[in-house]
Amino acid sequence: MTRTAIQPVDATFTERAPAVRVQSLSKVIDDRPILHEISFEVPDGRYVALLGANGAGKSTLLKVLATLILPTAGEVFFFGRSQSRDTVGLRSKLGMIGHGAMLYRDLTALENLVFFGRLYRVADPGARARELLEYVGLASRADDPVKTFSRGMVQRVSIARALMHDPDLLLADEPFAGLDAPSRAMLEAFLERLHDEGKTIILANHDIAQSLALAGQVLVLRAGRLVVDRLTNGLEPDTILAEVAAS
Amino acid sequence: MTGAMRQVILIAAKDLRIEARGRQTISLVIVLGILIVVVLGMGLGAGRPVSGFAATAILWVAYLFGGVLCFEKTMAVERHDDALAGLLLAPVDRGAIFAAKLLTNVLLMFSLAAVVTPVAILLFRFDLSAHPLGFATIMALGMVGFAAVGTLFAAAVSSTRLEGGLLALLVFPLSLPVVIVSTQMMRRLFEQGEPLGSTGLATLVAFDVLFLVVSWVVFELVLEP
Amino acid sequence: MSAARTILGSLYWVLTAALLAACLLMLLFYTPVEKTMGPVQKIFYLHLPVAINTFAAAFVVFVASIGYLWQRRMWWDDLAAAAGKVTVLFCAIVLLTGMVWGRSAWGVWWTWSPRLTFSLILFLLYVVYLMIRPSVESPQRRAAISAVYGIAAFIDVPLVYLSVKMMPDIHPSSIALEPEMKLTLAAWFIPVTLVMVGFLFARFRLNRRLRELGAGRAVPEVSGVQAIPLGESTP
Repeated sequence: MTRTAIQPVDATFTERAPAVRVQSLSKVIDDRPILHEISFEVPDGRYVALLGANGAGKSTLLKVLATLILPTAGEVFFFGRSQSRDTVGLRSKLGMIGHGAMLYRDLTALENLVFFGRLYRVADPGARARELLEYVGLASRADDPVKTFSRGMVQRVSIARALMHDPDLLLADEPFAGLDAPSRAMLEAFLERLHDEGKTIILANHDIAQSLALAGQVLVLRAGRLVVDRLTNGLEPDTILAEVAAS
Repeated sequence: MTGAMRQVILIAAKDLRIEARGRQTISLVIVLGILIVVVLGMGLGAGRPVSGFAATAILWVAYLFGGVLCFEKTMAVERHDDALAGLLLAPVDRGAIFAAKLLTNVLLMFSLAAVVTPVAILLFRFDLSAHPLGFATIMALGMVGFAAVGTLFAAAVSSTRLEGGLLALLVFPLSLPVVIVSTQMMRRLFEQGEPLGSTGLATLVAFDVLFLVVSWVVFELVLEP
Repeated sequence: MSAARTILGSLYWVLTAALLAACLLMLLFYTPVEKTMGPVQKIFYLHLPVAINTFAAAFVVFVASIGYLWQRRMWWDDLAAAAGKVTVLFCAIVLLTGMVWGRSAWGVWWTWSPRLTFSLILFLLYVVYLMIRPSVESPQRRAAISAVYGIAAFIDVPLVYLSVKMMPDIHPSSIALEPEMKLTLAAWFIPVTLVMVGFLFARFRLNRRLRELGAGRAVPEVSGVQAIPLGESTP
């Protein structure tokens, strides 16, 4: 509580609470510390790259942010509201893309989107679903089961699913994994566009150069600790590597 | 309340739609059920009429094994492609997810019973005609409690990757009271012609209520993507 | 610290053994022989206290399971596991002593009488509890699943009791006891309870120790480079 009092108050912060504020977050799984005392802030509308080696805790951090698993200690705030107090309410502000598609393979793309849209109480889920399928370029395949889709197409439906309820904060966990070059480029463009529309994005990625090119803020995890938290303007990949090595 | 009901129906309808598309679970379960009835019926000596009491015991075995398979399958739907994570991300009460899965499982078990029972009657001249309503009441009450236990543990073990035998191992001993009570009630019903006793019904209802409440409370704690 | 603990532990067991021996002498030389059953009836003084302690151990499993789900502390799981072992062990003694009694009273080792069935189901319930534990790899999942099962099993116990009561009964529901017999029975509760608590505590400490050793081994894995990604699914 004293922490917030000491922090310099930025002009933008007084108007709008940060999209994400994480306070000394720790997570222990199977008696092993996966995340240790992590604290950071992400202002509304920022594109953040979350970097780290496999096993550094990126996925776990995103799962905690997504309310999928509970933290062992510490707290997460979204837009100034405590995640633990208003879990269900805040879920409708979150969208997530992971390496799993989070879709039902036996249902069609449209059915999947409409189902999730209804869960989020989207006003006209059918229209919204068709609009999004158009947006990701799959309008013609709307009535085909997801299991007939290629990996890249599944990922695009997955993005549409994450956007059904028009979330303010988008979490992406290694969304580029296993995608071919055209799909990667398309996904990059999507994320860019969402960022331009004012969404806050946190992207976990292991490609440092790609992340730095996309994001405005970079967070680096190593063995469960946050070792780098800074803005990316003019930052070279080598600088990040050097900082990680030095920390 | 109505919001929660809406979510339950939404999720259950999704599960049933997936089931209707492939009919993977129900066909598998029905074949297994008929197989069990045939094997046990042979064991009792085919060609001779089987008493109502023995008939209910055979049918229970078929329903229980079929049920475990249903619980596994309905949970496996969520495991494919991390679909469960998508469901957990949505602003849905975990209790609604439990209720929906339970509803799907109960409906699947009822459909299983609706097919296997007449087949068994036909094949072995099972004689349930004396008390068909009593039979249906006992079986339905038993299945609800059994499905509550099964739904809970299917969710608990589904992320351990060794579902198969483990789920049956967990669910069968816990469900023994249901089996004992219902067989005793059937015996009184079919052998002694007594009406359904209130002790037996009360025990079945107590089992259902207790395990519905416990499963509903605990479900959230075992559900992890 | 640990030396004092060892001494205290040895003292505890010496006391328990002495009390057990005293109770045995009491049983042999003080307690009168029952008329209809003869000396075999004396197994009852062991049977009943062990049966009651079986419930006590099952209750510890129940409480520790709730404790784990509430606080997610691993020591609750260690306690539940220890109590599960004791429950199975004690329930086995109940079954065996009951069978010996049944052989001499009814002439059969086993009959589906309500209370025998009840003990058998209780035994099976907790044997399964012990069997599922090693089959779940992740300690956290194991603790969660066992805790849910530990709660469900204990809730199941009264239901099993209600259900077996519907079966035809030949088990004695109450026995007329002479004062000396009552005293013997009361005396036997003390060492049997001490054995239960002692086993529970020893097993609990062993479980704690094993977990600490396991955790010690896991540490280098975390700080070093890991080839396995944290997410469960791989594309």
